[in-house]
Amino acid sequence: MNFLSQYIYYIGAFGLFFIGLYTMLTKKNLIKVIIGLDILDTGVFLFLIAIGYSSGGTAPIFSKSVTETGNMVDPVPQALVLTGIVIGVSVLALALALAIRLYEHYGTLNLRKIKEQRW
Amino acid sequence: MVNPVLLIVVPLALAFAVPLFGLISKKIVKILPVVALLFNLIVSVMLLPKVMEQPIHVFIGGFSPPFCINLVAGPIGILFSVLIALVGLLVSIYALGYIKEGAIEKYHTLYLLLITGATGAVLTGDIFNLFVFFEILCISSYSLVAYLGNKAGIESAVKYLLQGALGSSLILLGIGLLYAKYGTLNMADLAVNIHSIKSFSNFLPFILLVTGFGVEAAIFPLNAWLPDAHSSAPSSISAILSGIAIEVGLYAVVRVVFTIFGASSFLVFLLFLGVLTLLIGEMSAFSQNNIKRMFAYSSIGQIGLILFALSIATPYGVSAGFFQLISHTLAKALLFLAVGYMIYRTGSMDISSLEGMGKKMPYTSLAFTIGALSLVGMPPFIGFPSKFMIIRAALLKQETLVTVLVVLVLVATVIEGAYFFRVIQAIYFRGGKSEIKRERAPLSALIPLFIFVGLIVVIGVYPKLLTNFLDSTASELLNRLDYIKGVIR
Repeated sequence: MNFLSQYIYYIGAFGLFFIGLYTMLTKKNLIKVIIGLDILDTGVFLFLIAIGYSSGGTAPIFSKSVTETGNMVDPVPQALVLTGIVIGVSVLALALALAIRLYEHYGTLNLRKIKEQRW
Repeated sequence: MVNPVLLIVVPLALAFAVPLFGLISKKIVKILPVVALLFNLIVSVMLLPKVMEQPIHVFIGGFSPPFCINLVAGPIGILFSVLIALVGLLVSIYALGYIKEGAIEKYHTLYLLLITGATGAVLTGDIFNLFVFFEILCISSYSLVAYLGNKAGIESAVKYLLQGALGSSLILLGIGLLYAKYGTLNMADLAVNIHSIKSFSNFLPFILLVTGFGVEAAIFPLNAWLPDAHSSAPSSISAILSGIAIEVGLYAVVRVVFTIFGASSFLVFLLFLGVLTLLIGEMSAFSQNNIKRMFAYSSIGQIGLILFALSIATPYGVSAGFFQLISHTLAKALLFLAVGYMIYRTGSMDISSLEGMGKKMPYTSLAFTIGALSLVGMPPFIGFPSKFMIIRAALLKQETLVTVLVVLVLVATVIEGAYFFRVIQAIYFRGGKSEIKRERAPLSALIPLFIFVGLIVVIGVYPKLLTNFLDSTASELLNRLDYIKGVIR
């Protein structure tokens, strides 16, 4: 139980990562594949946040009452995740926009049926 | 002295100024990429002799490394930046007449962003920053592949995006693992701490990073997206993607392998991967009937050849690899641009539709022929000294394995020669009896073509112009300690 509470975020992160990967590799519907991509991204973000997280930690700001770095949350991974989320959102938006155009051309989102370019 | 950060800032700023200028006049919009890239070219060429002696380090935010994001304008960075600016400039001149339909403003914004991403990725010294610039490059290339909005374009963009996004997630995961273990993102600082890839906690991020960047570099078996994406994009974009985007991906792979991890035990594997990529690329190219798909597969093959040369990991081998990279960029960009106008005239990408082009479009055909011959490695073009150097470097290594692999490289070159001569034969010696109507491509297309031809011939005749620079790029890549000492004082 102790193990679980210690590593719960990492387990969750890699769980999400592999759920996303599985979805991307097995689903036929493009929208589902895109959702899989999003889940996979979320797993990576959770992992990044978990690296810097310390339970009960404070914001990394020095003040009169807080002068020690002991129990501070690492701000760098949070900055990374912020950037990562922005990138993830733009990729997702682009993917959905392309999905709409793909549907206009083919009338289907089934990737097994869209084979003009030899998938 | 000019600050290298301007190489990133100017195209980035102009990229987002494009819609603003578009309000004033549609004509100014087309000129902006030319202006930005001309600036980049001049600045990079000015910086080139300086960085050959001493790399320029820029610390952003006024902190010293490893606490800041730093730019390392070393020989490799600036050489790449010259190449990106040169090819980018010529392609943007070509695009003045070539891109007529669609959302022109968006095209130019994305084009400048692509250049920004490529330049930033080769100059940065921070691994997360590398990821960000890499994403700028990738996202703009996804959208540019879909620019024409036709069936093929959209479909291959979706394919490219899904594979590229998966690769990027792997990169981010690798970066996270590295940060968890070493608490730093600075490449030099990471290199200080990492001594080998033998332990699993180093090996896992290493594999994630190589795989992630390998998707964009189109190393076999991660290259399924490339033939579609490069053949369905507008020809000017195909030239940039084949000439710059995959090379930047390869740069990232090489930087991870050599500088960050110093993974000399992994190089044998890369040698095999390089030759495998080369053979598969060339054999697939041989069986194509679509001219742009043929070039795309040939790009895969060339990437394999460059990877092979770099993995030899002797100073001479690395110089040869970078030489081949430059020669491939110039020749492939020339080929895509030349073929772009032929396709524009005939409206078909079939090789059979190019028959008789030698009489209809003599100048473009000549440029095409020179590009093809250079890629095959005929003297007196740039492909000859670069391929010669690779073979020589492999033989100088005096290892049985490398010597055996070099035989396979020569076999691949023969295949390459076979399919390019087939196209040249079609252009000059077949058909053409029907209507012989000479049509000249517009000046905005001919100028870049002739500059490319000029460079290919001049460097091919005097390879010394380039080899001096290449020696210092090789020492930057191979001397890991010098790189670390340069950044962290």
